[in-house]
Amino acid sequence: MSTATNQDTDLNLDEDEVIQDWSDISKIQNDNPILSIPKRGEKDYEPDGTDIQELLLYRAKKAMFDTLENSVRGSTSKSQVKGYYIPDKHIAMVPYAKGNFVQSMGETDKDGTLWLHFFEFLYLAERGTITPFWKAYGNNVELPLSIEDLYSYFKTQKEMDNFSIYAHLKRLGFIVRSSDQYIITKNNTSFYPPMNFKSYTIGSMRNIINRISSTFTYTGISLFNGIIFSQWHFYLRRYRSSPDIYESLNKLISYHKIPHSITDLRHEYSSLKRSTSNSTPTSLHITFNIWKPNPTFKKKYPELPDYQVVTYNKNMTNQSFPTFNELEALFRSLDYKFNFIEHSSNTDFWNKNTYNNGVLREDILNDLTNNARNKNKQPKIVTKKPTENKNKKPGKELPPHIQQLKRLKNGYRSFLLAIMDNGIVSFAKISEADFGSENVWYVPPPKGTIGRPNKNWRKTNKSKDNHRKEKEQSEIK
Amino acid sequence: MSKRVSNAVRYKNPLPIHPLELPELIIHNPVSWVYWTYCYITGCNTLQHKIHVDIVNNGIVHIEVRNQDDMKYLWENGFFGTGQLSRSEPTWYNHMQSRFQSEENGTADKKISLEQVTKFRRQQRTEFKKQRELVEAKLLNLRKKGELSPEEETRILEQEREKLRKFKDDQLALHLLKENRNDNLEEQERLLIQEAEVINENGEIRQLESLELMPVETLFLSFALDVLDVTPSDFIIKHCMDNSFDYTDELHKLLIQYSAYHHYRSHGWCVRSGIKFGSDYILYKRGPPFQHADFCVMVLDSNCSKPYTWYSTMARVCGGANKTLLLCYVERINSKEQILQYIRQGHISKAFNSFTVGEVIYKRWVPGKNRD
Repeated sequence: MSTATNQDTDLNLDEDEVIQDWSDISKIQNDNPILSIPKRGEKDYEPDGTDIQELLLYRAKKAMFDTLENSVRGSTSKSQVKGYYIPDKHIAMVPYAKGNFVQSMGETDKDGTLWLHFFEFLYLAERGTITPFWKAYGNNVELPLSIEDLYSYFKTQKEMDNFSIYAHLKRLGFIVRSSDQYIITKNNTSFYPPMNFKSYTIGSMRNIINRISSTFTYTGISLFNGIIFSQWHFYLRRYRSSPDIYESLNKLISYHKIPHSITDLRHEYSSLKRSTSNSTPTSLHITFNIWKPNPTFKKKYPELPDYQVVTYNKNMTNQSFPTFNELEALFRSLDYKFNFIEHSSNTDFWNKNTYNNGVLREDILNDLTNNARNKNKQPKIVTKKPTENKNKKPGKELPPHIQQLKRLKNGYRSFLLAIMDNGIVSFAKISEADFGSENVWYVPPPKGTIGRPNKNWRKTNKSKDNHRKEKEQSEIK
Repeated sequence: MSKRVSNAVRYKNPLPIHPLELPELIIHNPVSWVYWTYCYITGCNTLQHKIHVDIVNNGIVHIEVRNQDDMKYLWENGFFGTGQLSRSEPTWYNHMQSRFQSEENGTADKKISLEQVTKFRRQQRTEFKKQRELVEAKLLNLRKKGELSPEEETRILEQEREKLRKFKDDQLALHLLKENRNDNLEEQERLLIQEAEVINENGEIRQLESLELMPVETLFLSFALDVLDVTPSDFIIKHCMDNSFDYTDELHKLLIQYSAYHHYRSHGWCVRSGIKFGSDYILYKRGPPFQHADFCVMVLDSNCSKPYTWYSTMARVCGGANKTLLLCYVERINSKEQILQYIRQGHISKAFNSFTVGEVIYKRWVPGKNRD
């Protein structure tokens, strides 16, 4: 039963809801005793006051501490990297930075010094990648710092929460950067092209037209509704198909229009730029940009982030879960890889639609490769492209009703809400949805024939297969 | 195949209002024009008679359809209402009848209703849980005596687990047997029949079941489709406002719930109560016999902010049932007084025009599964 539905509708929609199958692991256990994973005991749900439970708990704890105690920590003096905390600015600097972390963390200035945010500094210190020192500005005294010292430098609870979330995501392999703070230069990567006068005026014209037309449609609709929902209406009008009936019904409740395409997004952005006054004040804002692990990440010219993270502490009394207006404000402030846009899975698409500090990313990359070629070096980016293309499956067109379901289930703009609950981090993906612009009504087939409403798109043998599936489903229901 | 086709025929129309079926118009045949026009003029979308509803208001409003044909009609044309003694479709009477008949003929009916299957499964589950509790109690007892080393405990645990597993397997085997012959259940059912006095003097089964409509369904059927014999403003004023003319929380809740209901219904969804999953509504693409619902809808005020646990528990329940949680925020654009005035004057459509909906999907996100 469930397999039939999965094949029909699922298609990678609910990957994270799939329950893991452990039966294979138990098989390994039976076959080969050497490979077997240690068996876990029965779960104890609450303290039962017995010594035996205490003993079990003690053993488990001891096993963990022993593992930590016996492992070698620290770094060899050769590869030690010193980092200096600068108290008056609450940042840190690493004069001679080396290591993989330089690629994706902090900001490097012209002299090659790496500047780190405090959360980055603490993360690296905690991992043992850099050795932390205290340094007053312009002072030559160095004092070694412990991790406890560093933790005491947190200014607010919020900062500490953000650090925990940052460290959590970093340890899982994501590239995480602050979305609003910067140390040296504000590196602005945006989906939106820089505003010039032309787009400004065109935008405002469109805005005025929209406003006028919307007032007209509003009064029009309320007049229309007065007729549709009157008692005599079904005596006056004759509907010849169910869609007609639905069309007349769905004018009653208006719904929020949300951007679906590049044009919608850009238009909303430009109209927002002009009227900054109506932004709703909210305690929540985007804190981190995160990218999936990517070895070619460039912190100077980053791609658009894959996700944007809003952090939220569930136990703080001054914070509450965002209301709809606050959510809307958050959606409007998003600037990431809007993966719902058509053709956005194409590799070149994002280079053509990303602006690094106002310059089209494609141009930057071309310049970089040209420079590299002039210097007789390997043109890295050019060789990279074809391999990425190979990973893409050949464009398989999904049937329209599945595409629609996918749109409905995934929604449009989305952000990640990182929830901090007494040190435990969990995530929720919050997306704008639009059920108002999709219609799912069933169109009865013309008289005499009974079949699937959308049988046209598939070959007959496949549709037979579907008939069977649907039959199975209906029998079970 | 036949079942699917029969479902397609049975649930041909998604709404109780049917579109006109006009004859084919042949351009070069003027007679067909005349016939077409005749059909168009005489045809009408409305029902022959309005469906009668009984409204019982003893603190809680019950809206019931008692006429057998109307019950069937509302279920088959848009899946409205729930049978009070059935799972959702009012099938109690039919089940009773077939059971009764098979009893009289002395032939065991092989078909078991879905309701019975569920009942039986739940019984088995409780039995299993009882067994498990016994095992747990036994173990705790041993622990408390303190004569048990952890190693010994694992050994006993293993034993008990094996026993439980066997118990479950036996239950399953039993279940398969039961499907072939269910004497025990039949016995219980017979007792139930006698107890409930469902048989009248003539030895016929009495129809005890009626179709219960949600207030929003009633409003939709009376206001948007006009197939019930209540008028929407009467319904709202009498039964949802208790004749008081205040903008109460109750009224507000009804208005936003209806706005959401109408929104989804009018875009073609089959909207049914989502109480099974702790939500306000669930959305079926066509209807319960055709596929599982894909969405759970929670209707919220646009300025509503609940504690985080509320959202996360909702998302867990929906995720566990393989549904997407949709938060439907309803915003009021006109003032309360204005809306009250509209309702009093009977301009219900204007009252509902004062609401807009916005939707947000809430979904648990697992970093490890979204890394590449």
